[in-house]
Amino acid sequence: MLEIKNLHATVGGKEILKGINLTIKAGEVHAVMGPNGAGKSTLSYVLAGRDGYEVTSGEVLYKGENLLDLSPDERAAKGIFLAFQYPVEIPGVASATFLKTAYNAQRKARGEPEVDAMEFLKLIRVKTKELGIKDDMLKRAVNVGFSGGEKKRNEVLQMSLLEPDLMLLDETDSGLDIDALKIAAEGVNRLRSPERAALVITHYQRLLDYIVPDFVHVLADGKIVKSGDKSLAHELEEKGYAALSAA
Amino acid sequence: MKTLTPLAQTYLDRFDAARSSLPGHQIPVVAALRETGFARFKALDFPGRKVEEWRFTNLAPLTKGIEPAAAAANADLPAAEFDTPHVMTFINGRFSPNESHLDQLPEGIKLSSLAAELDAGNSVVLGADTEENRPVVALNTAFMADGFVLQVEDGVTLDAPLLVRFVSLPGSGEVSHHLRNVIRLGKGAATTLLEEHVGIDGHAYFANPVTDITLAEGATLRHYKYQAESDAAFHLANTDTDLATGATYENFALTTGARLARNELESRIMGAGATSILNGAYLIRGQQHADTTTLTRHLVPENDSKQVYKGILDGEAQGVFQGKIQIVPDAQKVSGDQLSRALLLSDRASVSVKPELEIHADDVKCSHGASSGELDEDALFYLQSRGIEEKAARKMLIDAFLADVLEEISDDAVRTYFAKVTARWMEEV
Repeated sequence: MLEIKNLHATVGGKEILKGINLTIKAGEVHAVMGPNGAGKSTLSYVLAGRDGYEVTSGEVLYKGENLLDLSPDERAAKGIFLAFQYPVEIPGVASATFLKTAYNAQRKARGEPEVDAMEFLKLIRVKTKELGIKDDMLKRAVNVGFSGGEKKRNEVLQMSLLEPDLMLLDETDSGLDIDALKIAAEGVNRLRSPERAALVITHYQRLLDYIVPDFVHVLADGKIVKSGDKSLAHELEEKGYAALSAA
Repeated sequence: MKTLTPLAQTYLDRFDAARSSLPGHQIPVVAALRETGFARFKALDFPGRKVEEWRFTNLAPLTKGIEPAAAAANADLPAAEFDTPHVMTFINGRFSPNESHLDQLPEGIKLSSLAAELDAGNSVVLGADTEENRPVVALNTAFMADGFVLQVEDGVTLDAPLLVRFVSLPGSGEVSHHLRNVIRLGKGAATTLLEEHVGIDGHAYFANPVTDITLAEGATLRHYKYQAESDAAFHLANTDTDLATGATYENFALTTGARLARNELESRIMGAGATSILNGAYLIRGQQHADTTTLTRHLVPENDSKQVYKGILDGEAQGVFQGKIQIVPDAQKVSGDQLSRALLLSDRASVSVKPELEIHADDVKCSHGASSGELDEDALFYLQSRGIEEKAARKMLIDAFLADVLEEISDDAVRTYFAKVTARWMEEV
């Protein structure tokens, strides 16, 4: 599904990613762990197509297509979803309007019929119920005045609504208490299927107790320095990143 | 003696001929009023940028003289989009009865033309200040040719909004429209008024409306203005409002037109429990310049004022907001809030903001805030990352920026109309 080959990227002229190689097949969940500043968030932004994150060499193929040629909205319509580490507050835009606009924009881009307000409401109610989100959140402006936990839960809500093929989760566990973490993880797990894949970016092993990965990679100084199965995450938790970098 | 600006000189030359033909010339008190205005204007001239109040708005493009439209083709009267049974239309500064519908106004409401009132020597329109220090107001007093006079008797309310349209069409040869409007609301009267200033793009003219409003005890005026003058026009407007005890004045000015516009508002709060609300939105692009200058004067204790202005600027447009809140000694328990926000869609657009609080009482609550900035890149990426195209995402954010100030419009029909007009403007962003 996703092939990252020798990816180099700079932010503000500074090289952050220094040759990433990573292949994710449909049905797989990969975790990328690493210390602060290793380039974890940069990787997620590059994959989502954020301005200012410049790819200087290497390539990224998504379902066989050159991902880097696509705009962020095209990537989204083709099934890529980034759950933000810091979801953005958008004053003046009601959550319901935002969700419906995004949902219909993606359907339109894929040549599918758009849904009307009634149909959409039915659909979103099912999703909010699954995630234990109160309906009044839909009336509030996107993420405005939301607690950290509510913001993250809102990311998972968007993800379960948009049903992406490739989920990119950037530090989804940060700011969540254990109950919120479980709900968020359940939301992600509900989407796991043989057709979908996920890249879970996290600093701590904690999230991986709930979203159990098939593969774990360690990112340090812009490169993947070690790969393994889920036991690698436990090893990191015990020994720390420093021990690994020294090795 | 100082040299007058070229445009001021033309007015001096024209006044000799005009003084014997302008409405009310045969009424001594009207003629005397014009002479007073003329003398003031002659002494003042148009303000230059050295005048503090005009530091951010350069009138040179106007005062060097307006080129009359070069044999511009006659344009059709643009149809009114706002639906209401009561419509008064002025074409090139003159009342046009054929384009007006005033037959359904209820008892107790009189809407007439200033020219008719001046010719009749009606004293209601005569309240000019001999100490007038605003040159364009003095010029208006000298040359005022027409405008609307709205008089509402005590306790009378009008349910449907009044629409007053000022339309400027090329071909008449007249390039200055000195409009004088008068509004007198009796005790407990309530009216909604929508003023519309419309022109044909490319047509150069100078619109100089002065509106003089008096609200008696407990009266409520919802006063909306849509300024969509020609992109070659100059629009310098002054609106003065006196509020008595318990009166409410709600003003909302939507500005999309004119090459250079200044909307100047002065609220004089003279009663307890009165509320002055001055809100507005300006959406400008290209080389447009839009200035909003307000003066809110709390002259007695226990009353409120609120102001929210939002600007969206594209191209090389320039916005100005100057807002002064004045609280005189002993005007205790007054609250005055002011907010100015601008959204710059281009790095060549700019805005100048000058909030001023002049507070001489100690038990008051006042606030002011001003901000200007570009679209939030984080928010833009967030929307795009969910599948919303860049253009649609930008539009969503611009809409959101404007939404809360439009919400302040208490009349549903006008709010809907303004939302439609602003949406149309945004189609071209």
